Amino acid sequence: MERPKQKQVNQSENETDAAINGHFDGRVKMPGWRAGGAAGDPSTVPSSSVMESWREERTRSLEDNEMSLPSIAAAYTTILRGLGEDPQRQGLLKTPWRAATAMQFFTKGYQEKIIDVLNDAIFDEDHDEMVIVKDIDMFSMCEHHLVPIFGRVHIGYLPNKRVLGLSKLARIVEIYSRRLQVQERLTKQIAVAITEALQPAGVGVVVEATHMCMVMRGVQKMNSKTVTSTMLGVFREDPKTRDEFLTLIRS
Amino acid sequence: MEYQKAAELNGLCNGKIVTEYLCRNGFSELTVDTKKVAVQHKNETSRKEAEDESRLPALEAAYTTILRGLGENTDRQGLLKTPLRAAKAMQFLTKGYHETIYDVLNDAIFDEDHEELVIVKDIDMFSLCEHHLVPFFGKVHIGYLPSKKVVGLSKLARIVEIYSRRLQVQERLTKQIAMAISEALQPVGVAVVIEAAHMCMVMRGVQKMNSRTVTSAMLGVFREDPKAREEFLALTKSA
Repeated sequence: MERPKQKQVNQSENETDAAINGHFDGRVKMPGWRAGGAAGDPSTVPSSSVMESWREERTRSLEDNEMSLPSIAAAYTTILRGLGEDPQRQGLLKTPWRAATAMQFFTKGYQEKIIDVLNDAIFDEDHDEMVIVKDIDMFSMCEHHLVPIFGRVHIGYLPNKRVLGLSKLARIVEIYSRRLQVQERLTKQIAVAITEALQPAGVGVVVEATHMCMVMRGVQKMNSKTVTSTMLGVFREDPKTRDEFLTLIRS
Repeated sequence: MEYQKAAELNGLCNGKIVTEYLCRNGFSELTVDTKKVAVQHKNETSRKEAEDESRLPALEAAYTTILRGLGENTDRQGLLKTPLRAAKAMQFLTKGYHETIYDVLNDAIFDEDHEELVIVKDIDMFSLCEHHLVPFFGKVHIGYLPSKKVVGLSKLARIVEIYSRRLQVQERLTKQIAMAISEALQPVGVAVVIEAAHMCMVMRGVQKMNSRTVTSAMLGVFREDPKAREEFLALTKSA
C-alpha cells in the first residue's frame, strides 16, 4: 500500500482513511504540519483536551525526512558547539548527519499508519481463548528529555471470532513506540489500536521499561523500572481473566 | 581543539609503558588542556556553571528546530519545555568536559605499604556515542598494582565519571581512564576493562539487542606479565 505523499495528500484522502493513529473514527488529519511545525489544530475533534491530542495523526513521509534533514543536522552542529566540543574534529565531522538520521529513525513511528500494517492480517478463526505475545522488545524516546526508553511489552487479547497475525502485534508496538512518548500514553495507544482493529472481548497490555532519563541523569537510580498497564473489556471487568494474563506473562 | 589533541595524544601513547616521559608529558598536556580557562579550580567550577547557563538558549533553539524537523507539534503540552529539559540533560551528560583529574584526586592519594592488586569492579558507566549522540552504558572494572601510593576507592569511580560524561568512543574512554590512574599514582601497573551496550547498535542500525562491546587497557605489569593479567581478569569475571 503506497504511503500518501504529504504534499499531495488532500483532505479527501484522509476522509476515506478509516484509521487515524489507530482510531477508526475518520477524523480529519491536520493540514500543513510542515509549516512552522505541526499546527495540531484538530478540525473535527469535539474537545481539544489533553487526552484527545494524541489521537491526531501526524504522518510524515520519506520526502519530508529528506527535506528536513539539513536543518536537523544544522541544529545538531549548534548543539555540539554549545556543549563546548569542536565539530571539526575527525570523530565529530559527520556526527550531525548521523545524529539527525538516527533521530529520524527513532521517530519513524510518525511515518506509519496502523491501517497499513494491519489490513491483510486479520483472520476469522473460531478461537475464543486468550492469545498472548510477550517479551516484545520496545525502544522509545522520552518526550520530555529526548533520551531513550527501552523495555518489554506484553500483549494479551481474547479474540471474538477474529484473530490478528502475531507479528502485527509487534508491529503495532513498533509504530507507537518509535515516537516521542510517555509510557502511559504508549500503553494506552497499543491497547486501543488492537481494540479498534479486532473488536475483541478484551485486551491487556503491560509495558515494563527503563527510562534513561532516570538512570543516566536526575535521580540516577540504575535498577528502577516503570511498569504501566492497560486493561480493556473483559480484562478490566473480570479479575480471573486478568489474573490469568498476568500469571502467564510472569512465567 | 583540545579533544583532537587528546585523541592524537592517545594515539601516540599506544604501546608505550606508562613511565615513559613522552606519555607522561603528553598526558599532563592533556590535563592542562581540559582546564578550559583558569588555574584556580574553584573559580573554574563557577565559571563553568555560568558558561553552561549562557549557552542554554542556543541549545534550546537547536532542540526546537529538531522537534519541528521531526514533524512534532512543539506547542503541545508534553513538548512545551522539552527543548530546555533536553538541553540541560545534554549538558549534564557532557559535564565531564568541565572537570579535571586534579580536582578530583588531589587530596585522596595516600602512602601505604601495599603491593597487592586493588580492584574496583562493576562501576556503572554511562556515556554518549560521539558518532550518533546516543547513549552507551555498561560496567567498568579497574585494577591497579600500587607502588607505595594508593588512591581513595571512590576516586576511581570519579575518574570514570569524568571521562565517561563526554562524547566518547569506548576505546578512547578505556585508555583515558587507564592513563589518568597511571599519571596520578605511578603504579606498577593499571588494568581497565569496559563492557558496554551501545544503543546505536541496539535501537537502530543492525539492531542486535544482546550485543556487548568489551575493551581493555593494560599498562605496566599488566601488559608484560600474563599472570598478573590473569589474576585481574579472573577476579573481575566472578559473578
